[in-house]
Amino acid sequence: MKKLAAALSLAVAVTLATATPARAEEKVLGVVASIQLAADGNSAVAVLKDPKAGITVPIAVEDKVTLDKFKDHRISVGDEIKCKYEKKADKNVATFFKKPGGC
Amino acid sequence: MKSLPLALLAAALAGAPSARAAETPPAASSAPAAKPNPHAGLKDGYQGPAACEKCHAGVAKAFLDTVHWKHASKVTNVDHLDPKLEYGMKNRIYTFCNGNDVVNDLKQVPANELGKTKITGCNSCHPGTHLAGVNADGPEAEAAIDCLLCHSSKYDYSKRKPFKTADGKVAMGQDRSGEAAAAVGKPGVKNCMTCHESAGGGQLIKRGFAYDAEHDVHAKNGMTCVDCHEAKAHRIPTGFDPNNWANDGVRLSCQGCHSEKPHHDPDYDAHTARIACQTCHIPTTGGAVAKDFTRWTKDPDTGFWEPTTIKRDPGATRPVYAWFNGTVENTPHRIGPKGERTDPKSKITPFKLYQGRAYYDRKTGSLLSMDFAPPTASGDTLAGVASAAKTLGIKSYDPVPGWQTIYFANSHLVTKAKALSCDRCHVADGVLPFEELGYGKAEIQKRKLRSAELWFDKLDAKERKKADF
Repeated sequence: MKKLAAALSLAVAVTLATATPARAEEKVLGVVASIQLAADGNSAVAVLKDPKAGITVPIAVEDKVTLDKFKDHRISVGDEIKCKYEKKADKNVATFFKKPGGC
Repeated sequence: MKSLPLALLAAALAGAPSARAAETPPAASSAPAAKPNPHAGLKDGYQGPAACEKCHAGVAKAFLDTVHWKHASKVTNVDHLDPKLEYGMKNRIYTFCNGNDVVNDLKQVPANELGKTKITGCNSCHPGTHLAGVNADGPEAEAAIDCLLCHSSKYDYSKRKPFKTADGKVAMGQDRSGEAAAAVGKPGVKNCMTCHESAGGGQLIKRGFAYDAEHDVHAKNGMTCVDCHEAKAHRIPTGFDPNNWANDGVRLSCQGCHSEKPHHDPDYDAHTARIACQTCHIPTTGGAVAKDFTRWTKDPDTGFWEPTTIKRDPGATRPVYAWFNGTVENTPHRIGPKGERTDPKSKITPFKLYQGRAYYDRKTGSLLSMDFAPPTASGDTLAGVASAAKTLGIKSYDPVPGWQTIYFANSHLVTKAKALSCDRCHVADGVLPFEELGYGKAEIQKRKLRSAELWFDKLDAKERKKADF
């Protein structure tokens, strides 16, 4: 019984020690300052300027729907964007990148 | 009505133009020379519809008489409408969009508590300059048509934004560049969906269907919107829809391409007389299921308010079923299909069900409409009602919240692979509510409408055939 308890404790400790912490999702409401499409068209970096916070955030965009909007300028420089993103390696990868709602 | 089930698939597999092209590529040596682009000359100078009129004479004037320009038409299949008047998003009062082009005209909204303002309104998708809007006619209106918005594959949407003119009027920009003009042709899916996907308050809110390969067998087979909605003189055929009233007087149905007996299975074909194709072939729906126009929700980031909305992804919800003969019950609290089992023109049809809350006039029982500018800035919905009432000349009213049920046609998200089969309807607690549709308990029992006895052997044989090598 003691051996079993010890084994379980060890397993829990190892699990907690090696678990990847959940990525925190961050958000920004900003104006598009620039859009740089990759040569292959499969990714882009959009820089959002948040005048309220006084910061600029480069956002990596990889989803096809948003990339299409960059290509035909349905989203372009000057548009206000609501963005959620996750930090992955050295990139801020968009999980949500849209104009605020409304007709 | 006519069930599309196998027909859709058959057509899809056998026949979409792009699919055919892929199957039988012409030999390189016999490939015809590429046709010269007849619009290439426009690259060096495009001044709007006048340039189109040089070859397409009279088209601009004719376009002004279509639903895409007027946002309205005479409506003959809906109760309680004046046959002499025109109805549509220009002037309708209902609860999916409680505003319309008249009361919620494109304009600058007051500053919100963060000091922000924006130009917005129902007619932001109108293909004119707004200076010439839904009511405009004559040469000025003809010159204002944004032909390239629908016809160019290289339209630059960053140019289509509302702005204020030097004299303070609100106008809508257009892309009239030579590059866009040289890329004109039949409208592609994006041309249509840029507006039709965003109607009603946001992406995929209104109808809740995504027209893409993942969600629709027609899209999967390379078909575009205008392959079915094939316009003649800019009049776009549409199906019958309890919610969508305005029409160009041209109708379409699945039978335009598929026959009355499309299944290669007499049992399935026997359904088409009284069951709409959509019933089996569009088993899902999506988009907004409810909105509250009496209580708006503030976006803490932008400071703007929006109608409180409950929405679902495309394909995430189930339709409801009712008999439908193409005519529509229109009352303040219900806009829905008319039809019954004893009516030979009626078919069991699926609908997206929607609930909307808005203000009614306690004095008359009529639904009131709303100018969105005041509540967009402050959340004050009664100020929006007051502004709309002023525009409409309503001097006295007593607003009280109430609900309206609306049935939307469920005509996209077409599937062959996931179509309803015998075992989805003809079982206890199956998809179709037979009693509500007018089938008595004795008949249900006698015809085994809810029994596996009806179909087990047939489906078993099909399964065995599939397993055969």
